[in-house]
Amino acid sequence: MNNLILEVNDVAISFGGVRAVNGATLNVAVDSVTSVIGPNGAGKTTLFNLISGAIKPDSGTILFEGMEIQNLLPHKIADRGIIRTFQGAKVIKRLSVLENLMLGGQDNPGDSLLNFFNPKARNAYEARTRDRAMELLQQIGIERFAHEYAGILSGGQRKLLDLARALMANPIMLLLDEPFAGVNPTLVEKLLEVLQDLRTKHHLTFLLIEHDLETVMNISDRVIVMAEGRVIADGAPNSIYQNQAVIDAYLGTRKATS
Amino acid sequence: MNAIMQPGFWIFILTMSGIYGIFGLGLQVQYGVGGILNFGHVGMMALSSYTMAILVISHGINFWIAAATGVGVAALGGAFLGLTTLRLRGDYFAIVSIAFSEIVRYVIFNSDNITGGAQGSLAIPAIGEGYPSYTNAWDSIMNHMRDFLQPIFGDIVNREFVMALTIWSTLAVLLLIVSRIERTSWARVLRATREDDEVPAALGKNVFRFRLQAVIIGSILGGIAGIYWALESTLLSADDFLTIVTFYGWMILILGGATKVKGLPFAAIFFGFLYGGTRFFTFWPFSMVDSAQRAYIRIMIIGVVLIILMMKRPQGIFGKRQEMVLE
Repeated sequence: MNNLILEVNDVAISFGGVRAVNGATLNVAVDSVTSVIGPNGAGKTTLFNLISGAIKPDSGTILFEGMEIQNLLPHKIADRGIIRTFQGAKVIKRLSVLENLMLGGQDNPGDSLLNFFNPKARNAYEARTRDRAMELLQQIGIERFAHEYAGILSGGQRKLLDLARALMANPIMLLLDEPFAGVNPTLVEKLLEVLQDLRTKHHLTFLLIEHDLETVMNISDRVIVMAEGRVIADGAPNSIYQNQAVIDAYLGTRKATS
Repeated sequence: MNAIMQPGFWIFILTMSGIYGIFGLGLQVQYGVGGILNFGHVGMMALSSYTMAILVISHGINFWIAAATGVGVAALGGAFLGLTTLRLRGDYFAIVSIAFSEIVRYVIFNSDNITGGAQGSLAIPAIGEGYPSYTNAWDSIMNHMRDFLQPIFGDIVNREFVMALTIWSTLAVLLLIVSRIERTSWARVLRATREDDEVPAALGKNVFRFRLQAVIIGSILGGIAGIYWALESTLLSADDFLTIVTFYGWMILILGGATKVKGLPFAAIFFGFLYGGTRFFTFWPFSMVDSAQRAYIRIMIIGVVLIILMMKRPQGIFGKRQEMVLE
């Protein structure tokens, strides 16, 4: 089982009386695209919050590259290479689009006040980060907004910015929370291309939450289905369609209407 | 009216605005960049000025070392405040910070043997037969500078003039340093934390560290302002550090535009005029009230100006409106 990059073992968390994640166990293989699907309130985003360290589990362990991370602070987990995007996309509205991207730069010497007296190192890094950020902005097609406040961007553009910012952070594994919801179809295709490209060139691992089943089936190597805080099915995209538990919990309504 | 024609009046206003300008600059780093609501900033001024005064008067320590130690204690005060309470949400931090500065003030007020208590710095126990003054070293520097500058600028140069010049030179240097700091990626991360904790954390930034550093930098600036305040007033008393003083700094910050430093010196002068100028409002209609009541008019004017600014121009005179109101 050496090719597992992420292992989530029997993780549980309650908010008040609600068990948002109730003994979820799943794992993600290196260099794969794994999608998490499930009805609203299934605990998908909570699972992401647990993996990224935003909340701590009541019980269970989370291993990344074989090391326990469930008790680390979010920035420490990000340092290890797990970078997430947010449901509904979070941008820093009062920073420019370019600055939002540059925020993703890792090990920036300018982040340390001690390097205030070392402008050479700071400026060299800034210039490199700026170039990289402009390149990404061109790729996602919002370079004309580079110097505008991110708060003026539309919902779809914020999604793109959120994703691009995650890429700036040199992730090993990307957690994408509904990356395609609300993005127009041509742009989704473009995004998929970008992601495929990243996967082949940089061997990134993806874990994503997505509701659009067609997209999920197209891009995923593996699909994990959650309901009521548990993993109810886990397998190749084709097998998921035939799984009775999944049909009951998630796909059922679709079948009934057709 | 006469007083307004005197150069001494303007020099006094410049001195005061310079001190409060440095003070407000500390809040600018904390709030303008980091979004940290510090309402206990005056506590740093109290810590640095009293530390300096006690070290000089009671222990005979060299003025410069004492002043540097004072600023260091202010920085430690900021670190203490930050470490204990910065994990609280913004508005809770604001409340605790007020408590912090009040605790500092009450401790000073009640530690008779060390701080002179209610009698102020005059009652700080002096070593030997010495008079409890901490300004001797500073006075001789001011006199030297005066003797040096007088042949160049003429009779306008007196001790007060040199003081104002020194304070404004300090403010200029500090403005330059702070504006440089605010162009680093450190400040960019801090600006991000002003809006959201999760995003910078998810990108590997230790939000707490950035906030703590911002509070410490602000406290150092507050500490420097405290040293100058002590030197200008020549006497200290616990009542110099009431919470209202923090809001003098806030007024300058809001007036100048919290997100940018360039408006701050102008706002400081405007504040200085209100602060010092209203003392000289002896003409009608102010002549109808006595001088003690006039002191309250000053605080009332400051309040009214703040309210009008918040309503009409929340970004301040020089700030960018978008950076304040964008949702």
